[in-house]
This record gives sequence, structure tokens and C-alpha cells, in this order.
Amino acid sequence: MSELFQWLEAIRDRGEYVRDELSQATPVFALSRPEGILLVGIGLGQSKVFEIYDRHALAALGNPVDIEQIRQTAIEAAHLEGFNRSPEDVTLRRLMSYSLSPALKNSFESVMEPPLIVSGVFAEVGETQEEDVIMEFTYDGHFSVETEGLAVVSANEAAATQAKRWLRDRIRPHGNRKRIIGLILAMWEAMSHGQRIGGSIKPIPPEEFELEGRVIEMALLERRTKDRVKYKPLAVDY
Amino acid sequence: MRATLASMPSDGDFLKLLPQHPLARVASQGKALEEQQRLEATTVLAFHYRHGVLMAGDHRATADNIIYSDHVEKILPLDGESLMAIAGSPAVAMEMARALGTSFEFYRRSQLQTMSLRAKTRALSQLLKENLPMVMQGVGTVVPIFAGLDQNGGEPRPAIYFYDPLGAQFETANFAASGSGSLHVKSILGYLDQWGTPRPTKLDLKQAVMLALRLLTTAAQFDSATGGVDPAAGRYASVYSLDSSGVRKITATEQAGWWQKAATT
Repeated sequence: MSELFQWLEAIRDRGEYVRDELSQATPVFALSRPEGILLVGIGLGQSKVFEIYDRHALAALGNPVDIEQIRQTAIEAAHLEGFNRSPEDVTLRRLMSYSLSPALKNSFESVMEPPLIVSGVFAEVGETQEEDVIMEFTYDGHFSVETEGLAVVSANEAAATQAKRWLRDRIRPHGNRKRIIGLILAMWEAMSHGQRIGGSIKPIPPEEFELEGRVIEMALLERRTKDRVKYKPLAVDY
Repeated sequence: MRATLASMPSDGDFLKLLPQHPLARVASQGKALEEQQRLEATTVLAFHYRHGVLMAGDHRATADNIIYSDHVEKILPLDGESLMAIAGSPAVAMEMARALGTSFEFYRRSQLQTMSLRAKTRALSQLLKENLPMVMQGVGTVVPIFAGLDQNGGEPRPAIYFYDPLGAQFETANFAASGSGSLHVKSILGYLDQWGTPRPTKLDLKQAVMLALRLLTTAAQFDSATGGVDPAAGRYASVYSLDSSGVRKITATEQAGWWQKAATT
């Protein structure tokens, strides 16, 4: 009985420790658009937004070593599946349900091992916008499907929910991409500095965004390309 | 799929990873290989044109004197910047192409950098070496041509490599051909390379595609295992170009347009 209690206590402490560590990290975004799925993060270059497979991408926050662990796990599972079966058989739902989520949960509940400090969002571009799949995941293996085509991932869940609402109110389905990136950058800025998210916040055009040695990492999982590989890194001035 | 985290650190070697996670296989209950028909894919070629490399092949696969198919794709894009032309056993060659394509992409995605051209050509060489027992049994021989982009300094440079069945690799100066009709193709390209006006290396894309189609047609006239092209039946070739911006497929519609235009002028 006491062992079970100790285990539960350890799990609770781990959760608190991971959330505390993650609170230092800045948010990442994924948005389904008519031309594909846009992923945005701000980091040191190739540190937040990654290509996973032909139609799949990842945006993550947390400890770089732990992001790397999740990234490699996803890439390995996707390529093995794509080779052993076919690229069409690589789907985000299967990757998440049978590979990533159990691995994260196992890792989180192995109380004698250091926990993974990572959260993020995976995206799979479909033939149409309705077929896009965006899934948020957390350090403990929990994952959820984003049904409205917009993911904002941050350790501060309340701020992420507000940011999502703020963005949803302002993003039009066929709106200009540069303006949408400006809105996302404004939310990044507000969330990273703990500002109150409200009507007074204005979009920040990418060229006016203060980088302070960082890089705006952006990619588009392009829907209409004939290329097998849909992942296209986007230039900052886009 | 598995429920464990990736083994860190990953060195990006997909072929090392693959044997650890095979799908369940059903053991072969088939006849002895000697009794089965052995499928062969025939003529493929590659040459440098003005903007890069052009690679082409007919669509025929034969088994002894039987035409097995006239719809086989023998030019296989491995990733966005490398191509493999297969001659010999399609069963082995297509698996090699799939393994290579996946391992190049796996390396690029996991290591966040492109695999060098030298590493790519060596990877193909290694697969051919591993296929040696099959070659010794007289089945599964593959003699491929490889084209890739050398990114080592300055403007990306398209290069052609040809192989022997044991995996020896050679970079070719201007052209390569493989398969049963390759002798005829090589003779013509050898002649054009020295005395052609213009030489193949001076041709633009459209002219290079026309040359490739005519080479395959000529090979088909002398080699029964080569399918050639048959414009009347709407059958053209597999043609790809590789220039500094990457791989591009030349579709049958483009080939038909250029062929008909050349016929009327």
C-alpha cells in the first residue's frame, strides 16, 4: 500500500518538476490552412520545427535533448513503417497511438529514470483541409486531436487556451499568410513575456520582430505540391 | 510500430536499424529458382547534357524469350537529388532502390543534413557487395547506374556513376549505359561524344530527351529484349533530368509533344 502511495507521490512530483522546467520554454504553433499546415516556433535554428516524414512534421518545446529523443523516435517509427509497408500506411494516429504516446507514458512513469521534458504538436497534411490531422502531446504521453485546425502548445495551458481564442477570432480562412504569421508572432511575444492576452495586442510583422539572436523557425506541409515530400521550410520574410 | 524511445544517439543509418524491426515473413514454398522464370530489366542510359544529367530507360522486362511487361519503371528517383537506373533483376534492384531512397531520407531527416554524394554512391556499392551470393548463384544480378548531386563546394554538380555487379563504382566522364541493349547505346554515345555536332554535353533539355528516345529506339532495333519507344501506341520512355535544382520527371505527354514536333520539322 505504502509503495503504491510512494509511486503516486513520485509521479505527482515528476509532473510538477516537468511543468516547472517546461515553463521556461516558449510556445509553438500549428495551423491548418488551405495551402497546407503552417508550423511556427522561435529557437536557435532547427531546434523547434522539424520534418518527420513525407506528410508529417513536429513542432516541440522543452529540453533540446528530450525534443531530440521524441524526434528520433518518430522518425524511426515512420521510416520503418513506410519501408516495411508503404508511405501511405504512415499515419499520425498510428504513430501517436502505438509508438510515441506509449513511449512517452512509459518514460514518464519509470520513476527511477529522468523524465522527458517535452511537449509539442505533430501535424499530418491531407489531400483536403478536412483531412489534416493536428495532434498535441504532453510529456506524460497524453495526446489530443485538434479539431479546429489550430494548436498552441505551451506549459501555461491557460495562456495557450487564451492565445488560441485570440488567434481564432482574428485568423480568416483565406487570410494573407504574412498577416497570420504576424498574429502568431504577437501571441508568441505576449506568452513568452507573460503579458495579458487581450484586444490591445497588435500583430508583429516578421521584419519588425525582435529576434535577440534567435531564429523564426517556420515550415509548411504543402498540400498542393506534386512532390512526395510535403515539408518546405519557409523563409523568415514570408 | 514499437513503444520504446529511439536508441540514442542515432547515427542516421537506416540499414542498420532495419534488421531490428522486420515484419513477419512467410517462408517461401516456391519452386527451386532454377525452375522459375528469371525476370530481367533491360536497357537504361545516362549522359550529361548542357544543364545536368539525363537518365532514360525503356519499359520492358523479359524472362528468357518472353516479354513479361512493357510497363516497368526502371528509372527510380531515390530522393529529391538522386536517381538510379536499374538493369538486371528487378526484384533485387527495386528493393535496393527502396532501401537506398529510405536510408537517404532517413539520414537527411534524422541528422538534419543531406548525405554526401560519396556516401550515397558507397551505400549502393555496399548493397551490391551484399548481393554477391545471389550473383554467384546466377540470379539477382543488378548492374545499376546512379546519378546524384555533388554538393561539395560551390554550385551543386550532377554526376553519373556506373557499377559492376560486385559493387565496384566508377564516375563516368560523359555517359553510361547498362542492360542488354547498352552496347548499341554506348557505341552511339561514344561516337557522338567525339564527333557529334552538337555533342550531347551541348544539348538543351528538349534535344537531350529526343536523343535519349532515339537511342532507345535504335537499341530496340538490334536487341529484342529492349522495348524502345512506340509513339503510335503512345508508349514513351522513363526519362528524368537531374540539374542543380534536383530531379525532374519528363512526362510521356512532354515526350510526345517534343517527338511529334521533331517529326514535323
